[in-house]
Amino acid sequence: MTRLTVSSSPHIRQTDSTAKIMWSVVAALTPALVLSGYLFGWRALWVTGLSVLTAVVCEALAQRLRKTPVTIGDGSAVITGILVAFCMPATVHWYVPVFGSAAAILIAKQCFGGLGCNIWNPALVGRAIVHVSFAKDMNPSSYPVVHVEPSSSWLSDVLRHFTIDVTAAGDAAATAVDAITGPSPMAILKKGLASPDALVGSPAEQFTHVLRGQAPHLWDAFWGNIGGNIGEVSALLLLAGVVYLVVKGYVRWYSPALYLGTVAVLAAVLPLPLGPEGARWVWAAALRSGPDGMLYPLYHLVCGGLMLGALYMATDMVTSPLSPRGQMVFAVGCGVLTVLIRLYGGYPEGVCYSILLMNTAVPLIDRWTRPRVFGTGHKKPAPGASS
Amino acid sequence: MARTFRGGVHPPDGKAATAGLAPQRIAPEAALVISLRQSMGAASAPLVAVGQKVLRGEPIGKPSGFVSAALHAPTSGTVKKLTTMNDPVTGGKVQAIELEPDGEDRWHDACNQPRAWRDMAPEAVRQAVADAGLVGLGGATFPTHVKLTPPKGTAVDTVILNGAECEPYLTCDHRLMLASPGEILEGLDVFMRATGAPRGVVAVEDNKPDAWRALRDAAADLKHVEVLALPVKYPQGAEKQLIKAVTGREVPSGGLPADAGVVVQNVATAYAAWEALAWQRPLTERTLTITGDAVSRPGNFSVRLGTSVPSLLERAGLDAEAVGKVIAGGPMMGLALATIDTYTIKGLSGLLCLKSPEMFAHGPCIRCGNCVDACPAGLVPSTLSLLGEAYEDTQLDALDAAMESGLMDCIECGSCAYACPAGRRIVHYVRFLKAERRKQLARERERKSQQQAAVSK
Ligand code: SF4
Ligand code: SF4
Repeated sequence: MTRLTVSSSPHIRQTDSTAKIMWSVVAALTPALVLSGYLFGWRALWVTGLSVLTAVVCEALAQRLRKTPVTIGDGSAVITGILVAFCMPATVHWYVPVFGSAAAILIAKQCFGGLGCNIWNPALVGRAIVHVSFAKDMNPSSYPVVHVEPSSSWLSDVLRHFTIDVTAAGDAAATAVDAITGPSPMAILKKGLASPDALVGSPAEQFTHVLRGQAPHLWDAFWGNIGGNIGEVSALLLLAGVVYLVVKGYVRWYSPALYLGTVAVLAAVLPLPLGPEGARWVWAAALRSGPDGMLYPLYHLVCGGLMLGALYMATDMVTSPLSPRGQMVFAVGCGVLTVLIRLYGGYPEGVCYSILLMNTAVPLIDRWTRPRVFGTGHKKPAPGASS
Repeated sequence: MARTFRGGVHPPDGKAATAGLAPQRIAPEAALVISLRQSMGAASAPLVAVGQKVLRGEPIGKPSGFVSAALHAPTSGTVKKLTTMNDPVTGGKVQAIELEPDGEDRWHDACNQPRAWRDMAPEAVRQAVADAGLVGLGGATFPTHVKLTPPKGTAVDTVILNGAECEPYLTCDHRLMLASPGEILEGLDVFMRATGAPRGVVAVEDNKPDAWRALRDAAADLKHVEVLALPVKYPQGAEKQLIKAVTGREVPSGGLPADAGVVVQNVATAYAAWEALAWQRPLTERTLTITGDAVSRPGNFSVRLGTSVPSLLERAGLDAEAVGKVIAGGPMMGLALATIDTYTIKGLSGLLCLKSPEMFAHGPCIRCGNCVDACPAGLVPSTLSLLGEAYEDTQLDALDAAMESGLMDCIECGSCAYACPAGRRIVHYVRFLKAERRKQLARERERKSQQQAAVSK
């Protein structure tokens, strides 16, 4: 007889594995990546590829040094690489994604003990670091997008999109690149509302003016036809990816729903500072009297880093709480912080720092939201009293 | 009332291979080797000498202490020797009695006689149960008379018969409920009489509608008995979870079912109780399921205690080359055998023979929270497994942290490890920590007694 295996029960397990979960997340991010190749040309893919390569190499290197098994096959470093690249414009220098990914993997992940032990989402740490280190690269004055004159064949048009170098914007020869868009929509809204003009007329009129005059159309912003960072432009595709993850059971629906919901509600009800240094405060509800009133919270949802953050970073298992209740607290907390930073903070964007802050609070949240141990706590009626 | 409990998982049930197969009765073979450890608590002490002739049902082992069970000759024959065998529960060696059947299979005179048990007082019923050597046949093998004697100060108002059979692959209880619903209900009556409980419930998982119907029809005229179909969820058959699902009550942490006014018994134990009371037949036979992808003729088998496991497996068509794991019991809580060279005991509810053992890679915890959702005890299994690793790594305060996290409330159901994508060996670490805790307590006791000895000197 062959040797019998002896091990502790249980002797069966479900079919998911860490690698399966991670690669599914990679798959969920892929549509958004393909679209950015279309919008921003091959450079978007190149930046992402470079970032992924760096992440994987750093992971392998660090694991070698720490003398632990090399687990680059589990896909978690690939996710980090993709997310780091997704937070930057396609026009960055090559060393920006390399630096960001290396920082994410080496500092935020491996220094803490590798997968499962890190406190902060590695990609967000990478993003925060390159944000302060390469401010110019990360906040370009304009986000060029590829523009191709329609020819007779749509297929060749699409393919041409992928072959154009977006960094050639302004280059007279590269007519296919439009630097049409200015700053990101979140910055436009913030700047517009803080300009001296904002004090003229009613808040609703002013808001409409900002929207109509400067911000992209909401629908364009939703599917991705705007300037922005590689992976943040298409709320639609990011959502589609997360629906897939929810169906697979790797993301719990309430987590992104609560994050997005909190942002939408708060953006709709909180008071806004208008004019330079918040000279005048109005309730966001006041914007609603205008024709575009309901749009304000919607812009908050679809623009900037919110979708990417709420759907793929705040749902990162490792850096969010363990229990469902904890995850709900976490999601709401992220939403509150995001809106507070966006409306009142110095940055137009608050997703990155709010998630990082909430990451820090996870051990505390875990402690608060520990499930009730069976047979402790709440009292059931004694047998005699029950009917 | 919500008839469910927190947590749980839905493993594929694997029951189709044997659910349709009525048990085959296997006649006693050339030699039976009967373990003296057939129950939780103390092993029994042998009552027979080598060369002695015994009849079926004759006592051959007597309980040593209250939490211990009597043992009876499974057939008529001659005691060949007092020996040792591999214990299918602990894997260690246990004392055993080898019996050579005489082929006549004759009952002892005092056995196999009808008895008007309904006139018996509760104490007499409990004594009869104890004398018949009954233990929990679901696998826990707790002596039945102990469970029927609730501690002072507790009043039992409900007896629940556990027909959930929530362990995947096992179908022996299912077949028993189909074949003998009336006898099972009589057994329930025995338990109700022994405990004085006015209410009886038979709980079946709703993946066995035929068994539920058979029991319901048999119970149609019984006013105080209810037959429930509970939604399928593992571990529905775990004692505390079953009580919660049926009565809505929670057994307090560290407490007994009696603290919630309930006694739970397995349906097979109820059947054995009927045999013991109504026919004075001690427990000498049980039904078990032999299944898995490494046997070609899976089925249910009614076997005498002490039947050789290799011969049973051969009968079921074991592929000795391909088999990689043999599990005593079901796949969620059963014990992986180091060797099949052993003999059946009262608590052996199944033999699951698998070709390729499932691999538990024990990767790092990715904090997915699946185990927290799955844990019916409301624990954070991920934390317990990490503390287990830390303790192994000589971080000694990890044990205190684990105690504070409810280590002792873990029922070792395996739901957490089943649900873990990282394949963490959570239950292994829980058991390890519990064993360390027991050692710690023993050390403390020893220190105390030494101190006392020093003081009294
Ligand atoms: S084995 Fe213990 S920790 Fe794991 S799910 Fe069951 S009760 Fe919870
Ligand atoms: S199921 Fe496994 S990976 Fe997920 S939290 Fe529990 S121990 Fe960690």
